[in-house]
Amino acid sequence: MALMNTLLSTYRKVELFFGNMKFAVIIIMLFAISLGYGTFMESYHGTEYANRLIYKSLWFMGIQFGMFLSILFATLIRLPPKKHLYGFYVIHAGLIIIFIGSFITYQSGVDGTITLTPNLPARNIQLSDDELKIQFPSKGKEVTVNLPYTAFQKDLGYEYEGIVLKNFLPFSENKQDWVPVKVEDPSQASSRYRIYTPNFGEFVTLSLHPQSDFNNTQQMGPLNVHYMPASLSKCFGQNTPDGLIIWNGETTGCISPTPKEIKKKKNVTGQEMIEVTFDGVRVQFLPQMSPLPLDDKMNLSENSPYRIFSKKLFEKSPHLFLFGKHAAFFDREAKKWSTANFDIGEEISLPWMGFKIKLLDHRTDAYPTMLPQYVKPVQENGQVIKGQTKAIEVSIGDQTFWVKSGEPISFNQNGERIIFDLGKKSLLLPYELVLDQFKMDTDPGTNNPASYESFITLFRGNAGSSKHHVFMNNPLKFENFTFYQASYFQTNEGPFGSVLSVNFDPGRFWKYLGSLLLVLGSIWHFVLRKKPVVKPGEARD
Amino acid sequence: MIKFIFIFLMTVTSAMAQMDFCTKELETYPVQAGGREKPLYVLANETVRFMTGSDKIGELSATEAFCKLSLKAFGMPLELPVAIKVDHVEVRKLLGLSEDQTSIPVNELEAKSGLLTEEMAQLKENNSYKKELSKVEQRLNTYRAIINARAWIVPLKKDDKIEFVSIGEFLTQSRVESAQGKGSNPVSYLFAEAKADYLAAKGDKYLLELKYYKWNLFVWALLSSLLSIILFVVMKNKIPGFIFAGLTIVMEIVAMTIRVMISGRAPITNMYETVMFSGFGALVIACFIYFMRRDLMFILAGLACNVLGLMMMKFANGMLDEGISPLVPVLRDNFWLSTHVSTIILSYAGLALSWLLANVLLIKSRFGNVSSQEYRYQVDLIYTCIKVGVVLLAAGIILGGVWADYSWGRFWGWDPKETWSLIVLLIYMAILHGKYTSWITPKRFVPMVAGAFMSVMMAWFGVNYILASGLHSYGFSEGGAIFLGSFFLIQTVILIIGSLKISKEA
Repeated sequence: MALMNTLLSTYRKVELFFGNMKFAVIIIMLFAISLGYGTFMESYHGTEYANRLIYKSLWFMGIQFGMFLSILFATLIRLPPKKHLYGFYVIHAGLIIIFIGSFITYQSGVDGTITLTPNLPARNIQLSDDELKIQFPSKGKEVTVNLPYTAFQKDLGYEYEGIVLKNFLPFSENKQDWVPVKVEDPSQASSRYRIYTPNFGEFVTLSLHPQSDFNNTQQMGPLNVHYMPASLSKCFGQNTPDGLIIWNGETTGCISPTPKEIKKKKNVTGQEMIEVTFDGVRVQFLPQMSPLPLDDKMNLSENSPYRIFSKKLFEKSPHLFLFGKHAAFFDREAKKWSTANFDIGEEISLPWMGFKIKLLDHRTDAYPTMLPQYVKPVQENGQVIKGQTKAIEVSIGDQTFWVKSGEPISFNQNGERIIFDLGKKSLLLPYELVLDQFKMDTDPGTNNPASYESFITLFRGNAGSSKHHVFMNNPLKFENFTFYQASYFQTNEGPFGSVLSVNFDPGRFWKYLGSLLLVLGSIWHFVLRKKPVVKPGEARD
Repeated sequence: MIKFIFIFLMTVTSAMAQMDFCTKELETYPVQAGGREKPLYVLANETVRFMTGSDKIGELSATEAFCKLSLKAFGMPLELPVAIKVDHVEVRKLLGLSEDQTSIPVNELEAKSGLLTEEMAQLKENNSYKKELSKVEQRLNTYRAIINARAWIVPLKKDDKIEFVSIGEFLTQSRVESAQGKGSNPVSYLFAEAKADYLAAKGDKYLLELKYYKWNLFVWALLSSLLSIILFVVMKNKIPGFIFAGLTIVMEIVAMTIRVMISGRAPITNMYETVMFSGFGALVIACFIYFMRRDLMFILAGLACNVLGLMMMKFANGMLDEGISPLVPVLRDNFWLSTHVSTIILSYAGLALSWLLANVLLIKSRFGNVSSQEYRYQVDLIYTCIKVGVVLLAAGIILGGVWADYSWGRFWGWDPKETWSLIVLLIYMAILHGKYTSWITPKRFVPMVAGAFMSVMMAWFGVNYILASGLHSYGFSEGGAIFLGSFFLIQTVILIIGSLKISKEA
């Protein structure tokens, strides 16, 4: 009995707390402020960020639950029923039912999209949650890791058979980073420059390291930039009549032979052949045919480390050769090759249209690479323009790498292949949809779309097939799912593909019922209830 | 070849020069523009106003000027004083204008058009300056389209079907030559023939739009509303006031009906139409409440809201586009569009009434003497309007959910427009619930109601003009941010002035 009383008085306290009108005002305002914040976040950072940060976050669920408690206890506290509150009961019952309906939808509803490429059967519904699939093809095994619906970087701390999943970035952008090398090799150097004119400029990162994401050449409008080992720079500075440079790819040494050092002859077909001595070795080339040297049988030898090329090829258009802290280019006015040296932070002038180049960084102890880094996404004119890539940092043994959304990675571990695929969760339909045609009409005389229509065939295996026409405000309802025209895309082959949103909402009935009660209750409560205040000076009827 | 073209152009120009082709009669000529068929008068006025900000070019009406400019393509030697509108001060500076020069002669602009393109290419951020640059460029391109005979799209019967072609394609050499000798001159013969074909095939329904624009019913409604307010205030006898209030309603119903007949849809699909419908709605709701509560304040508030709406329609052309254009596919469902949007707009109208009454009471009690009994009564009037607004808003939001569920498969999607309409409901709910606590006394209720309308303005205009993203971005246009900013500023100033007294009393 005492326990009963304690329980009852505790309940009374709970009821008084949540059913209090002041609690209602506070929770309503909290809800409204969160929503306002959400709309601005959506405007600046896009729908997905707003969903992850606010609308589908735990704390926002908490506020909604607070609303639910407030509505529930405000009703309970006013029981047994009083006649003048009938409208109030109906409104609040409606709201409670809407909350229940929404919860059912949240728990067991499906909201996804299906992408239809013309004439290709599809049955895969893409959902909004992310997952990482780890496949072991040799074992025929697959592990799926659900990824958290967060707006921020998160350490997953997940481990499976030596595979460790570390940071998950729901929004990321590739940014340049330096990865230290184990053994320094001057011929695998990397540098970062700024090449600019008074009107425009560009940061250029060039690398000779085989694992770098950056190349050793880059084009900037009319200017071609080539990045080479520093040991080659001396050969570019030497002005020889033939302009030939021969270099050894293994030692990265080079020579720029003078006419005296070159023996010229013709081969059997009459092509010019030259012979030079490099590091004491006699090497023969057909310089007009190939950069490769000839072997003893007069065939081109791909295995030889020697290469030849002529600087003359690079004299007609702007070519800039960079060797870390050295640069070489053909000065057309002086009609000769010039070289220049610069240290980090220094700049030199180039002979084309006021171009200048500044050395920003030069390293042999590390190579540049593009690593995903967390960014807040940016939305402009209704389009997310930054941060759309998701990424997970994976670590196996002493190796660490990133798996990005839409770019599956295959990894070899002791001869066993492991495939990592970061993508959306999906659901398989028990039937197939085929897009026969996507049609877009425009308003007469304009390019403005007037309608989007998908003509679809639905195949149910042995149960036969049926034709359907899906367009705006005319969805296809089949079994539990409803398919709505949502978007379209152009395939490489030309015809349009269609995107349908797919929906299953078990809470629908309750939401509609609650809405109806809410509206009827409001009318009852407001319109039919209260006697108005009488105008001063007039008698009450 | 050059000789041939020259002779052909001579035929066209001399034919046109002979008979003064560009007359007011062309106003009724059917054209195609923006995906619709309309009279040339409407196209010419919309185009000339877009380019120059005025309805005339020199002494010529928009139709005459549009026609003459189009004929430049056929070698008609003619110089019209076309001046392209430039709104942004920074753009004026860029074009070498002084800060108070609102337009630039088109030839000067043509000479500086490279400057525009260059400046736009250099700007990364899509700010108001860049938007205005691109708008000026659009105006110039519109001019170019006219003088190249691309802007005037006329009907032409081909294989028993009416097609639309630009007059560049309409007046081809072979067609003009084949019409030689028919009628008074070949060009007017071709135009008359095409119009007759069009009328035979499609009738003259398109001419309704000409009447709609020429009658200017909304301007008359504005005058009638103002007159009604004056009569109510000045005269003891309320009947004349009611007559003009009724006349206003009738004129607005006629105007909106014509608009519906032209566009074939409910008159609530863009900002211009929602402002129009809300002003009308406020007056109608006010009349309904008047029949229940019998207080003239409602009618006066309704008329005032109606006047505000009509003023915006008349004078805020930069923000509200009067033109009738086809809908984006998402909205092409008349039933749901009509019910959902009109319910929401009516609820805004109801809340606008409460906002107006609250501000009036705020200022009255600040500068005049309002007895506490009178104050309580006025609060009750405000409360009545809020009740109407809130019930309609809840119903409208739910109808929107039902439409979204029906068209997109989800009841609710946190789209900014729907989210803001929910915020509005929540704010008014917080006020209505707070009324039962000690937090919101009648003295605090009034400024809160006046301030709460800022959330309505945010949901109504702010989402389109400030947030401008999501499914509802169909109403996006320029100039609204300044309007909204000014509204918030003025409302805040009124609140501060009004609340000074309250704190003095307390």
